Amino acid sequence: MEPENILLVVILMGLTVYALFGGADFGAGVWEVNTAMQASPKERKLLFGAIGPVWEANHVWLIFVLVAMFGAFPEAFAVFCQALWLPLVLALAGIVFRGVGFALRTYSIGAERQQFAWEVVFAIGSTAAPFFLGTCVGALASGSLNVARDARFQGNFLTGWLSPMALFTGFFVVGMCAYLAAVYLAREAKGLGDRELTLLWRQRALATGIWMGVLALAGVAYVATDAPLLWDGFRQRSWPLVLGSIVAGFLSLYSLIRERYRTAVLGAAAAVTSVIWGWAVAQYPWLVPPTITVEDAKAPANVLWLLIATICLGFLLLVPALAYLLYLFKVGRRIG
Amino acid sequence: MSDLVLPAMADTAFNLLAARLQMALTLGFHIVLAVFGIGMPVLLLAAEWQYLRTGDELWKALAHRWSKIFAVLFAVGAISGTVLSFELGLLWPEFMRQFGPVVAFPFAMEGFAFFLEAIFVGIYLYGWNRLSRWAHWWCGVPIALGGAASAWFVVTVNAWMNTPRGFAMDGGRAVDIDPIAAMLNPASGPQTAHMIVAAYMVAGFLVAAVYAWSLLGDPSSVYSRRAMKLGLALGVAASPIQLIAGDWAARLVAQTQPVKLAALEGQFKTEAGAPLRIGGLPDEATRETNYALEIPGLLSWLAYRDRDAVVQGLDDFPADQTPPVAIVHVAFQVMVGCGVFLALLSLVVLWRGLRRRRLPDGPVFLRLLVVSGPLSLVALEAGWVVTEVGRQPWIVQDVARTADMVTAAPYVGWMLLATIVTYTVIAVGTITALRLLAKQSLPEVAKQPMPENALGA
Repeated sequence: MEPENILLVVILMGLTVYALFGGADFGAGVWEVNTAMQASPKERKLLFGAIGPVWEANHVWLIFVLVAMFGAFPEAFAVFCQALWLPLVLALAGIVFRGVGFALRTYSIGAERQQFAWEVVFAIGSTAAPFFLGTCVGALASGSLNVARDARFQGNFLTGWLSPMALFTGFFVVGMCAYLAAVYLAREAKGLGDRELTLLWRQRALATGIWMGVLALAGVAYVATDAPLLWDGFRQRSWPLVLGSIVAGFLSLYSLIRERYRTAVLGAAAAVTSVIWGWAVAQYPWLVPPTITVEDAKAPANVLWLLIATICLGFLLLVPALAYLLYLFKVGRRIG
Repeated sequence: MSDLVLPAMADTAFNLLAARLQMALTLGFHIVLAVFGIGMPVLLLAAEWQYLRTGDELWKALAHRWSKIFAVLFAVGAISGTVLSFELGLLWPEFMRQFGPVVAFPFAMEGFAFFLEAIFVGIYLYGWNRLSRWAHWWCGVPIALGGAASAWFVVTVNAWMNTPRGFAMDGGRAVDIDPIAAMLNPASGPQTAHMIVAAYMVAGFLVAAVYAWSLLGDPSSVYSRRAMKLGLALGVAASPIQLIAGDWAARLVAQTQPVKLAALEGQFKTEAGAPLRIGGLPDEATRETNYALEIPGLLSWLAYRDRDAVVQGLDDFPADQTPPVAIVHVAFQVMVGCGVFLALLSLVVLWRGLRRRRLPDGPVFLRLLVVSGPLSLVALEAGWVVTEVGRQPWIVQDVARTADMVTAAPYVGWMLLATIVTYTVIAVGTITALRLLAKQSLPEVAKQPMPENALGA
């Protein structure tokens, strides 16, 4: 396998983990917006308690993707940063306000009005970040970014990224985050033995899951009519992944109904994973369809191999540490 | 066609200014939080170590309180660091296109170091009651190591911009890239040493300053005294080392960036046996540095360890390759002035500490400490102004100009405006949260006045 393809796989893996973990953290904030900040103290305790120990580590996956991207595909990175500067800035603003909102609400102890203000900031940031990151993916996948062969962006800097597909993907990604969060929180509420919260999140997960299914169908229909390059990719290569996401989605819904929360979590994660890889496989080998391919954008081979080696070594340290974190706060029983 | 190109040119000049201001603002903001990310874990570990060693609950109260302050600063620092990594591409896409592969290796290493830090921050902050006492302490160690390591890797990138190595240029692309040679460029050693020691200094002196302030109000507080001493110990240990690291960094500038040295020193004319100018204001019109206290031959000696060595002046370089002299010279004087003050203060503390077996703690000394915290911060910011403005007009010394790397996307001015508003909100919010934390009452043990505790309660 060529080094650029290995790195592409690694970047996608990073993106997938970011979606599954960081996305769920965003999703918790999306639910604050969905419930118009009316969550009960008990509900909020579960929600913030679930994010607290992990959100910063989960956030670093985005940095990982960013660094691997500009190291391995500098040409494409530079194009993204120019053509998609506005949604990227807005996503960044969301990320900033989410993080600051979370940290300051956690430690604004004894000042309830301030704490609530930061919770609102957290919620809006949590929704804006996945929305605008989603629009970036959508703008890219639709193939409507006007990029020349020499990798110069020739479109409008304010509106060039806006397309129905971009907006659709924005909403879709927000829904994905909300769905993941609801399923995870149902499992965590079950683990804490709180029947009322478990059923609440189960109900929310079911409702969101059904909506997401409908939305996904609409998305496929849209791609079929308006994004021919991506549609060809779906038809020729990534249809098994599309099928897989449907099966996994149904599995997670069925498990929710049967109250098998661990299976529901795995099903939801598998569905999201299949959607991401389905998109990637369909779009390959284009990084910026229809002008820039993996081949056009890649860095020299020795740089790519060094990055691969670095990432392998880094993972040797990272994986045990991450496993310990997740074991302590997501799997293991409470000691104190 | 030409009327399409002309506004674009004007935009580029404005974009450059706005992008540089935004970079300066966000870097200047982030570096404050970054030094806490590097220095604060060391203080936390020291306080918790004392608790584990002595079983004194007061040490635990201190470590606990500090871990909350650290949590706020780390979170805001992680966010402001994320902003910087986005800005690399958003403001300087051409730089990332041409040089991304050259600098990606240290960035990737930095990413992993930061990853470990973030993971163990989660474990440490939320693990007080879930881990055994020693396991909890050990989970703080990767935070301290990760902080220093990520600083090391990321500063090598800045060092590379000063002394670029490990690539050749061909048609606007870096080719023949050797990322490791790029990372291990000549400036990496001195610059990383200078920055990491600075981080310990600033974190130490700022912590010492905060508690010196509260000791002035309540001299009997054992809690504040211990906190002040830990901060002071870190600052005092780092400051003398900084004299050596700073000298190393300056001599490397003399060897590798003579034009930057000339700007630092306000040296317009090439001369043998150049004097060291203390203070002074460079005048670019008359090509002289006025009002400076000049010590003959000392600059030549400091830069090249030879009192008669020739120091190149700014007039030796083409005008379009020299940095704005006044800013660089003044910032350098401020940094060195603050640094020398802190080093002298530290030597006094060390000398008295060794002779009398105790740290000085009179009101005059406490007042000096209160001043030393902000001064260390001023030195830090001034130092970054020196190295960044001193490299202009280059983004990569002698290879790429900053003006050629800036984004073509318009509206950078609006982005700058939004950034100023956002960062003001964040700064106010963070300070408010820290004040709330400071107002929270401490456990009873921390309120005991001096005598009981001095007896070993």
